[in-house]
Amino acid sequence: MALLEIKDLHKSFKETEVLSGVSLSIERGEVMSIQGPSGSGKTTLLRCMNFLEKSDAGTMIFDGEEYELAGIGKAQIARIRRRTGFVFQNYNLFANKTALDNVALGLYSARRIPKKEAREKAMEQLKHVGMEGFAASYPAQLSGGQQQRVAIARALACEPELIYFDEPTSALDPDLTAEVLEVMRRLAGEGMTMIVVTHETAFAKEVSTKAIYMEKGKIKETKGEKL
Amino acid sequence: MTGQAVWELVTGSFPKILEYGLKVTLPLAVIAFILSTLIAVGVAMLQYAKVPVAGPLCRFYIWIIRGTPLLVQLMVSFYGLPLLGIHIHPFIVAVAVFSINEGAYSAETMRAAMEAVPAGQLEAGYCVGMSYMQNMHHIILPQAFRTAFPSLFNALISMVKDTSLASAITVVEMFTRTKQIAGQSYNYLPLYLEVALIYLLFCTVLSFVQRGGEKLLGSYGVRK
Ligand SMILES: Nc1ncnc2c1ncn2[C@@H]1O[C@H](COP(=O)(O)OP(=O)(O)OP(=O)(O)O)[C@@H](O)[C@H]1O
Ligand SMILES: [Mg+2]
Repeated sequence: MALLEIKDLHKSFKETEVLSGVSLSIERGEVMSIQGPSGSGKTTLLRCMNFLEKSDAGTMIFDGEEYELAGIGKAQIARIRRRTGFVFQNYNLFANKTALDNVALGLYSARRIPKKEAREKAMEQLKHVGMEGFAASYPAQLSGGQQQRVAIARALACEPELIYFDEPTSALDPDLTAEVLEVMRRLAGEGMTMIVVTHETAFAKEVSTKAIYMEKGKIKETKGEKL
Repeated sequence: MTGQAVWELVTGSFPKILEYGLKVTLPLAVIAFILSTLIAVGVAMLQYAKVPVAGPLCRFYIWIIRGTPLLVQLMVSFYGLPLLGIHIHPFIVAVAVFSINEGAYSAETMRAAMEAVPAGQLEAGYCVGMSYMQNMHHIILPQAFRTAFPSLFNALISMVKDTSLASAITVVEMFTRTKQIAGQSYNYLPLYLEVALIYLLFCTVLSFVQRGGEKLLGSYGVRK
């Protein structure tokens, strides 16, 4: 059974239809890459799947539970979000929190894990991405690559079953890109389920089990296993 | 009047003037500042969240307050409240009017500071499972407060001086007290210069408090 399945997702901004019937599915442990020209709707698709944008129509089946995307409620959104992570193109770290607290905050505020325990867990995740030496640094004191690794640790801390990545390296220099891709490669190796929008064609070929190519709000081509 | 006599007048009146500064002027400004900040945070949050009805009501409040002089607001409250059967001490009226007045300005400062926090951080908060209020508490308000702090403190410093307007509604504060003493001695200028120096002293101390506050709040590693 697929971990996540999307059926016929539609999304318009005002009059313009940006996603015109997108369907996809991903099994546990799979890595799906999404590529396509600028403006084809890749970011919008990820944002709709994590409810940062409201879809106009479509169905989501997450771990066997079916949801109507257009009418989904707050509680259901919260339930699904607790099981997914999101990594943004521009990191979006909390500027007023240290690297450690960026990772720990979701644990001690949303999940009500005691602060001390949350920070211990957060430290584990920082180690996982090689950022334990920067636990006390604020985002403004970190390089882009370092910020993105903290952002990945933040997503990992909530023990998600699926992580969305929206062009996690496209704001980075080549050498910083390499350090972030290295972390993602390791995650893929550990069996993390990931949906990755990326322009890194070589990386996409190397790690993805399924590759999607989007154009004008539609999936034009799917490589890999059956859809 | 000889220099000697002027000097005696100034030094003799100093404790009397300072007393009213510490007993009336400063408490009026500080209490009103604290209340105005609370009003500002509430009003800014209602607007930031675009709460129906309450949001537009906040705009209306800001519109009225910013569009009328503080002195007129003091007068209207002072003469209006008794007509409504509300009889309270003029000092309390002054505290209320200063709070409500400053609250409207500070609400705009706070709202702008909240909107300056990148929306992406709020989205990141949602993505790790935080609720709107948890985002407010941990992400938006702390950053907004840090951004707004110098402007808010600026308002406090202005307010210390504006408290002299409270004399219009019979509150005897530092400036009114100075006027009384000056009237008895028929020697105005030295006393007004003296009270000017005391205001300056108060504001200087507050400037240091502001610096300290800014240090305490930190700058999240952003080099200034
Ligand atoms: N909030 C919005 N309001 C209006 N239009 C939007 C909004 N967000 C995206 N769009 C439009 O939707 C279309 C798809 O945008 P999207 O960001 O999903 O593309 P993308 O495939 O991620 O592109 P890129 O590779 O440049 O990141 C674009 O035409 C864009 O202008
Ligand atoms: Mg995009």
